[in-house]
Amino acid sequence: MKKRRILSTLLTAAMIATTFAGCSSNSGGTTTNAGNSGSPADNGGASGGVQEITWMFWDDLDATEDLISLGYKDTIERFNKDYEGKYHVKPITTNLEEYYNKLNALVAANETPDVFIVSPGPQLTDYVAPGVAAPLDDYLNKDGWKASFTSDAVFTQQTYDGKIYAVPLNTAAACCFYNTEMFDKAGAKVPTNWDEMIAACDKLQAAGYTPITISAGTAWCLSMVAGYLCEAEGVSLPKLADGSASWEDGKLEKAANKLVQLSKYFQRTAAGDTNDVATANFYNEEAAILIQGSWVIGQINGANAAFESKCGVFQFPGVERVIAKSDSLCMSSTSKCPDGAAALIKYFTDDTAQKYTAEKGGKIPVTKVQYDANTAPKQLGYVMDVFGGAKGTFGFYNESMPTTETGAHFDDTMVAVFLGDLTPADAAKDMEEYYKANCRK
Amino acid sequence: MDKMLRNKVSIIIFMLPAFILFTLVLFIPIVQSVYYSFCDYKGMTDPVFIGFDNYTALFSDKTFGIAFKNSMFFLVFSCVSQLIVGLFYAVLLTNIKAGRNLFKNIIYLPCVLSSAALGLLWMFIFSPKLGINQLLEGMGIEEPPLWLMDTKGFITLPMWIIAFVALWQYVGQSMMLYMAQISGINKSLYEASYIDGCTKFQTFRHITLPLIRPMVATALSLNAIGSLKFFDLIFNMTEGGPNHKTEVLATHLYQQGFKYFKYGYASAIGVVLLVLCLIVTLFINKVVKTEQYEM
Repeated sequence: MKKRRILSTLLTAAMIATTFAGCSSNSGGTTTNAGNSGSPADNGGASGGVQEITWMFWDDLDATEDLISLGYKDTIERFNKDYEGKYHVKPITTNLEEYYNKLNALVAANETPDVFIVSPGPQLTDYVAPGVAAPLDDYLNKDGWKASFTSDAVFTQQTYDGKIYAVPLNTAAACCFYNTEMFDKAGAKVPTNWDEMIAACDKLQAAGYTPITISAGTAWCLSMVAGYLCEAEGVSLPKLADGSASWEDGKLEKAANKLVQLSKYFQRTAAGDTNDVATANFYNEEAAILIQGSWVIGQINGANAAFESKCGVFQFPGVERVIAKSDSLCMSSTSKCPDGAAALIKYFTDDTAQKYTAEKGGKIPVTKVQYDANTAPKQLGYVMDVFGGAKGTFGFYNESMPTTETGAHFDDTMVAVFLGDLTPADAAKDMEEYYKANCRK
Repeated sequence: MDKMLRNKVSIIIFMLPAFILFTLVLFIPIVQSVYYSFCDYKGMTDPVFIGFDNYTALFSDKTFGIAFKNSMFFLVFSCVSQLIVGLFYAVLLTNIKAGRNLFKNIIYLPCVLSSAALGLLWMFIFSPKLGINQLLEGMGIEEPPLWLMDTKGFITLPMWIIAFVALWQYVGQSMMLYMAQISGINKSLYEASYIDGCTKFQTFRHITLPLIRPMVATALSLNAIGSLKFFDLIFNMTEGGPNHKTEVLATHLYQQGFKYFKYGYASAIGVVLLVLCLIVTLFINKVVKTEQYEM
């Protein structure tokens, strides 16, 4: 009887122990999966004298062909080598579509990565407002780091109440990439205004080509085009936000009508194609035009190097300004290793990294680094020409609205117009109602 | 048995792990979710009580409307289709001898496979450039359907596709439940009915069907709850797109919670989901009247 009692007690204890073992955190392993990452409390602590820094990014560094991502991988390897025995960077990677979901989950679980990439605008605001991102001025003002940037203007979108919360790594401009061979064969000219754009698309279509490849499955891609069309019609986002302008003033309706007109030239699968699929359509020569940010240069040349010589770039027709965007790195305010995290961010903006950005990745550097324009991808030169000819820049529409959700609503509304679920007039009405309910006080 | 029940310490000790686990991973989160559903809570700051605002916002949320409609479609489709097909398979397989186990395993196999992997598999099969469409193009069809991208209709084509994939995946579970119940029916009842001149269909209608009613209620409840909280196949096949057309309550909850940090609002969706599960289960148990027969 006694034996049985002891046995039952032992078994119960084992059951309880197993139960709690399942609930305990896993401090071991060096997985790069976001969901399994260790907490900064675990990571930041010295382990054999080496402090671990977590760095979260929206591409898989081991699987990617994107040259910019591969450049980031090199930078991390360089940092780990230079700081061997002191700091070690552990990348947490995920695909772009899932990036913010996973980052937010980590933030909510108090496991914010020490350093994480973020888009400027409301997405950065989401991390600055609740104090998730730390101000970086003290680090930037040390050792002439800030002075190495091309100008203070590069920090405009990263500055809140006079403090800088993120460091830009490069600049990209949204342009129209085109297949010069297809244009030549179809007898199409590089368009400079809306009518010429439609004429070029007609010629490409008549020659049997798909004129434009775009992703509506990844809504911001279509919304980027809508942003350009709104810019052409003179839409003012600040005025819409403060209520001194209305979405129903006819400008959005005109822009949406043009979007519908342009959508006749999209590939048949645009509704569901993801950004990667739409981009692949272009570098696999299944479509003549790709409207995309210049970060795509690294992706195009990484996946199909032979295509570089056929790839031209022109500014979105009918607009004087270009959409510009920078990848920016934030530092967690709860980082246990802020000096190491700041040192890591600095590595991404040093001469080696910035030269790589231009010469291999094809993006515009943010520092005063001298790079060899002859070795840089040809497309970068074309993008620089577009930049030089533009009268200014503006942000992505969805990233220039009051909140992330408002931007997503704009994206969805434009996709609904494309799918025929909303008429351009209804889209304008819908946006106005949304702004009245959510954005204006 | 009485002796065992008198040993209260043992009972408590054996129940404690399950009780603690249930409380930690189920009861406390449910209570927390209900509380957060009344709050403006973005995860990174403290929750602020806002009363029923999250619930009233649900009514003006168009995507919630689509998600609700799709969840209801899924609920009805899954319950009806799995009842009919599952029962058909169960009756068929209990009446054959050769190859019964083989077919049983083949039909049940998708149940044990990862939904995420199956979702990706079917996504590739229905991709515009791979799988079925490649075959159709090979057969000379120039513009084959865009299975997972079509957006027309009250219930869009991608929703039908996903519903059939879910039927394929989970029908084995219903089949197994019905088979277990059918195999428990006393053979003498069938023999007696055949002696009385019953046809196979009459036997099924007047003997099998009434005797498996308790299992019908159970299987329907499981199907209903499973289809209401359905997430993985949809997320892997369409991610709720194109433009939220295939969103269901669980994917909408995920989007609101993890994409927009709206944990309070996401909790309100979660509470609606929970209440729906309770209502549907109660409804099924009320509608499917079960009587206990000596089998």
